[in-house]
Amino acid sequence: MKAAGLLTLSLLLAGAAPAQQVKWNFDKLAARASDTVDVSLDGSLLRLATKFLSDDDKDEAQVKKLVGGLKGVYVRSFEFKKPGEYSEADLDSFRAPLRPPDWQRIVGAHSNEDGETVEVYIKSEGKGIGGLAIIASEPKELTLVNIVGAIDLDSLSELGGHFGIPEVDVEKEKKK
Amino acid sequence: MPPRAPAPSAASAFDFASLVRRHQAMVFSIAWHLLRDRAVAEELAQDVFLSLHQHLAEMESAEHVLFWLRRVTSNRALDVARRRQRRPMVSLESAPEPVAVTPTGDPLLGTALKKLVAALPEKARAIVVLRYQEDLDPAEIARVLGIPVGTVKSQLQRALALLREKLSRVVGQASGPVPGKE
Amino acid sequence: MASFEDELRSALRRREPPQDFTERVLARVAAAPVRSATRMSQPWVRWVAAIAAALLLAVGSLEYRHYQGERAKSQILLAVRIAGGKLNKAQKKVQMVTHRSNS
Repeated sequence: MKAAGLLTLSLLLAGAAPAQQVKWNFDKLAARASDTVDVSLDGSLLRLATKFLSDDDKDEAQVKKLVGGLKGVYVRSFEFKKPGEYSEADLDSFRAPLRPPDWQRIVGAHSNEDGETVEVYIKSEGKGIGGLAIIASEPKELTLVNIVGAIDLDSLSELGGHFGIPEVDVEKEKKK
Repeated sequence: MPPRAPAPSAASAFDFASLVRRHQAMVFSIAWHLLRDRAVAEELAQDVFLSLHQHLAEMESAEHVLFWLRRVTSNRALDVARRRQRRPMVSLESAPEPVAVTPTGDPLLGTALKKLVAALPEKARAIVVLRYQEDLDPAEIARVLGIPVGTVKSQLQRALALLREKLSRVVGQASGPVPGKE
Repeated sequence: MASFEDELRSALRRREPPQDFTERVLARVAAAPVRSATRMSQPWVRWVAAIAAALLLAVGSLEYRHYQGERAKSQILLAVRIAGGKLNKAQKKVQMVTHRSNS
C-alpha cells in the first residue's frame, strides 16, 4: 500500500464505541514554554462553533463540513526560547498512549530543512476510525493535536492552500 | 467585624465575596484608567459589583462573569466619562500633551504614557486599556464594547501611532537644553 | 530595552482598590433596600417582574452565547489551520518520498 495512499483515506465511523480524548500531561512543558496555544473544544462547543461558521465563506464552509461529526478537537502548541527545552523522554511520554492495538502510527516524516518531525496516528474503533493524533516536534516548538471522532483526512489535508498553508505540489518541488 | 457575604441564592453557584476579591483589581483598574479619578472609579467599581450581585443568577460560568464585568465596567465608565466631559471632545490628533517629563527611567515614562492615554477620546482610551491592561485581542474588545472589530482595529492603530508620536515629542522636549544652563 | 507596547502594558497594569473594598461592597449589598412586600403582593406586579426577569435572563444568556460561539469559531479555525498545516507537511514529505521511489 503506497504511503501516500494512507493519507487519502476517507474515514467514516460506523457505529463504533464513543472515542476518548488522549490523556496528555502538559504541565512540565507549559512551565518551560515562552508561548502556548491552547484550543480545547468538546462536542458541545464544536456544535456551537459550527453554528457560527458561514456557509457563504468557502473556507468556513469546508471547516464546518469537516468538524460536523467530531466529538472533540484539542490542540496544544508550545514555543520555546531556545532548543533543548524538551527531551526525547518528553516525546515518549506523549507517544505512550498512542500504542497498538487502539492506535496506529501511519506516518513519521522528518524534514532536514527545518528539523521538524511530524508523526501521525489514527485510532481504530471497530471497523472505522475514531480519532487522530499528531505530534509535530521542531527544535523550538512542539505541537500536539488530538481530534476525537470521525475525521476526514482528505478534507483536513485539502485545507492546504487555505488559511495561508501552502499547497502541496510535488512536481514544482522537483523542478527546483 | 466585617459584614458577612450574603448567602448565594439557590440559583447561583457562585460565592459572591470570592468573585469580588478575584475581580476587584480588574474592575477598579478599568474604571481608573478610563476615568483617572480614584474616588469616582471606586464608586463605579462598587456599583458594578452591586449589579453583579443582582444578576448573579444569570451567570453561566466563570468566563461569563469575566465577560460581563468587563463589558459593564467599560460601558459604564464610558458613560460617566462622556457625562462628566472634563475635557471637550477632541479628535485624536489634537489630544493635549502632559507637561514634559525628564526621561530618568521607566516609572516616569509610565507616568507620561498614562497621562497620554488619559487624554485620548473615550472610545480610543477604552480600546487601549482593554488591549494593554486586559490583554484582549481586537475581536474580544469588539464584543466587550459592542462595536465592529474593524472600528477597534483602526482606532487602536491610530491611538498607538498618536501615543508613540506624542511620547517621542515629550521625551524629546525633556532631553533638550536645560533652561538657565546653556 | 522594553518595547513601546511593554511600556504601555506596564503603565496600564492592574491596580488594587483600597484594602477594605470588598467589605464595603458586601456592606452595600447587605444594606440594599428590600422590595416592599405590599407592592410585590399585587399579582400583576409579580407577573411583570417575572416576565422582566425572564427577558433579562434571555437577553443576557443570548449575548453570552453569541460571545461563546464567536470564540469557539475562532478557536476551531485556528485548530484546523494548525492541524491541517502539520498534516500537509507530513503528506508533502510522503509524496516526495513516493515520487522518488517511483522515478
